[in-house]
Amino acid sequence: MTAISMEGVSKYFDAGNTVANYRLDLEVADGEFVVLLGPSGCGKTTALRLIAGLERPSEGAIYFDGERVDDRSPSDRNVAMVFQNYALYPHMTVAGNIEYPLKVRGIPPDDRDDRLEEVTRLLHIEDQVGKSPAELSGGQRQRVALARAIVRQPSVFLLDEPLSNLDAKLRQEMRSELKRLQNELAITTVYVTHNQEEAMAMADTVVVMNRGTIRQIAPPGELYDRPRTGWVARFIGSPPMNLMDGTRRNGSVDLAEAGTVRFPGAPGNGDGTVSLGVRPEDLSVSAEPPPAGNAIEGVVDTVEPMGEYVLVNVTVGGRVVSAKVADTDLEREDRVFLTFEDDDAYLYDENGELIAPT
Amino acid sequence: MSLRDHIGDYRPAPEEARGIDREKAVVLAMFLVPGLTLFAIFSVGPIAYSAVGSVFSWEGFTIGQFTGLDNWIRTFRDPLFINWTNITEMQFPMGALAQNLLWVVIHVPVSTLLGLGLALLFADLTGRRILRSMVFLGFTVPTIVIGLVLLFVYDPQAGVFNAVLRAVGAEGLVRNWTQAPQLAIFALIAGGIWVQTGFSMLLYSSALSAIDPSLIESAKVDGAGPYRRFRDIIWPLVRPVTAVVVIMGIIWVMRVFDIVYAAGGSAGGPGHVYSVLGIEVYRAAFEAPIDYGKAMVVALVQLLIVAPLALYIARMN
Repeated sequence: MTAISMEGVSKYFDAGNTVANYRLDLEVADGEFVVLLGPSGCGKTTALRLIAGLERPSEGAIYFDGERVDDRSPSDRNVAMVFQNYALYPHMTVAGNIEYPLKVRGIPPDDRDDRLEEVTRLLHIEDQVGKSPAELSGGQRQRVALARAIVRQPSVFLLDEPLSNLDAKLRQEMRSELKRLQNELAITTVYVTHNQEEAMAMADTVVVMNRGTIRQIAPPGELYDRPRTGWVARFIGSPPMNLMDGTRRNGSVDLAEAGTVRFPGAPGNGDGTVSLGVRPEDLSVSAEPPPAGNAIEGVVDTVEPMGEYVLVNVTVGGRVVSAKVADTDLEREDRVFLTFEDDDAYLYDENGELIAPT
Repeated sequence: MSLRDHIGDYRPAPEEARGIDREKAVVLAMFLVPGLTLFAIFSVGPIAYSAVGSVFSWEGFTIGQFTGLDNWIRTFRDPLFINWTNITEMQFPMGALAQNLLWVVIHVPVSTLLGLGLALLFADLTGRRILRSMVFLGFTVPTIVIGLVLLFVYDPQAGVFNAVLRAVGAEGLVRNWTQAPQLAIFALIAGGIWVQTGFSMLLYSSALSAIDPSLIESAKVDGAGPYRRFRDIIWPLVRPVTAVVVIMGIIWVMRVFDIVYAAGGSAGGPGHVYSVLGIEVYRAAFEAPIDYGKAMVVALVQLLIVAPLALYIARMN
């Protein structure tokens, strides 16, 4: 079992012209399930490949259990990796694929067979062992790739967007199965995805990345409750948090034509440009102005009935604010008031850093 | 309950039963006729003509009496075609057939392996495009020019090859390589390898670049070193290309003519020491004394060796 630690790890390509990762600091505890989450091109895959040993850091150090591993090959690090496209060897059978890492390590055939049996049972692919990867469905290939990764009992398990090629239903199934598997095996796992739902559902800790750097490291709950920057706030949640630009003055936020919002609890008294954030699920919409409390004024742009909830998009001062409500009979062009509890509001300064809640 | 029970007595119309759509057949024929005509005139016709002609006697270009296998027996007894005495003594000339097969035995494996080696070497190199182009250039040059270039390269005075030998102090080896009876054929084969290596490298390069890089990385993560990655992953995936490279190589070599002609004229070198089948056909057909019967037999022998290979390639998936 292994703890991973990255210290100031940077990775440059094209002689420094492309910065894939910049000064990553990350601690992954033994047995932890960490998800690297970020949009395409944010450097999360490069970070994973650095941990795998498929890339060498340009700067910084990577430690496995306190031992520096920068110069070690992937096999010396005893990592196992599942690639986005599964990377199954097309000329080998399923059994050949799963046994390959064992064969390379010179494990005797009898042991190999035992472990093959065990792992195929675990992943419910006992019936597929004689087939070639081309004969398998996407989900089955996924399982074979997982089987190949876990069959040699790696100390670190790395997954690069493993579910992105599956259809929605299968993705959901595999998601819970992966989590169950990780719980059972308790192998330190680093998982890369751009899908926040996947990240929130599976991770012990989510690492949010953008433009090659880490933006926030937090458990899923905290990430949702306290996004540390405006960028993270806009990235997490579906639909994400509404951020409205305003000016902070004497404990309240002036949103221009949309009205003024009291914000007494915020620390510091610096006036200036801020963003007020409220999650769509914390907003209520009503046609009448509320007797008390904060309200933002706007005009209904569209109403999207999603079944489970209704999404009301309201134009507020030129930009659209979404509200998730249980039910509504509002229509386009209706003048409405968006209300929320004081506790549900977030305040970000002009650099996008969280001011409140503290 | 089977499908038959549901269909009952249904009988398809006769045309439908034969699976022929008359209109479709007409259209197909229309499109096939021009191509098949050319094929018949320029491929099937001459082959049939030679096959028939090979069992007749010839007076110049005039067909004579039916002579059965006479031409065949005569050709196979001709030391210029195959010289059994010299073969047992390992002496050149061994006859065009034996010399041509020697080309196959040396040229094909060497150019295949060299091509694979260079393709692997260039795969991850910066500047690989330039290197590949340089190697492939040999294949694009007309072979008659290659033959002439070889003459220059092996020239005793001005040639690069001898200059290199002198430079490394091997003065004793300096000679006119294309005219040295027991060595010349190898000098020419080397030239042929230069040509064919470009081709096999190109095929292997494209096969290598078609391999998903994540397979190689996956093998790395699985713990395979460079040799095992080659043996277990790369080689099985480029193996189909090897069949093409080898067979194309054999076909190319069985038809080799220009290089030999440029270096040794229609005799195929001094005392026919590196004559090949193509040279024998040429001499028998176009140089006095004209022996049309022999030309046809030799050409058919060439065809009999090459055709099954070509057929195999054509039927490959």
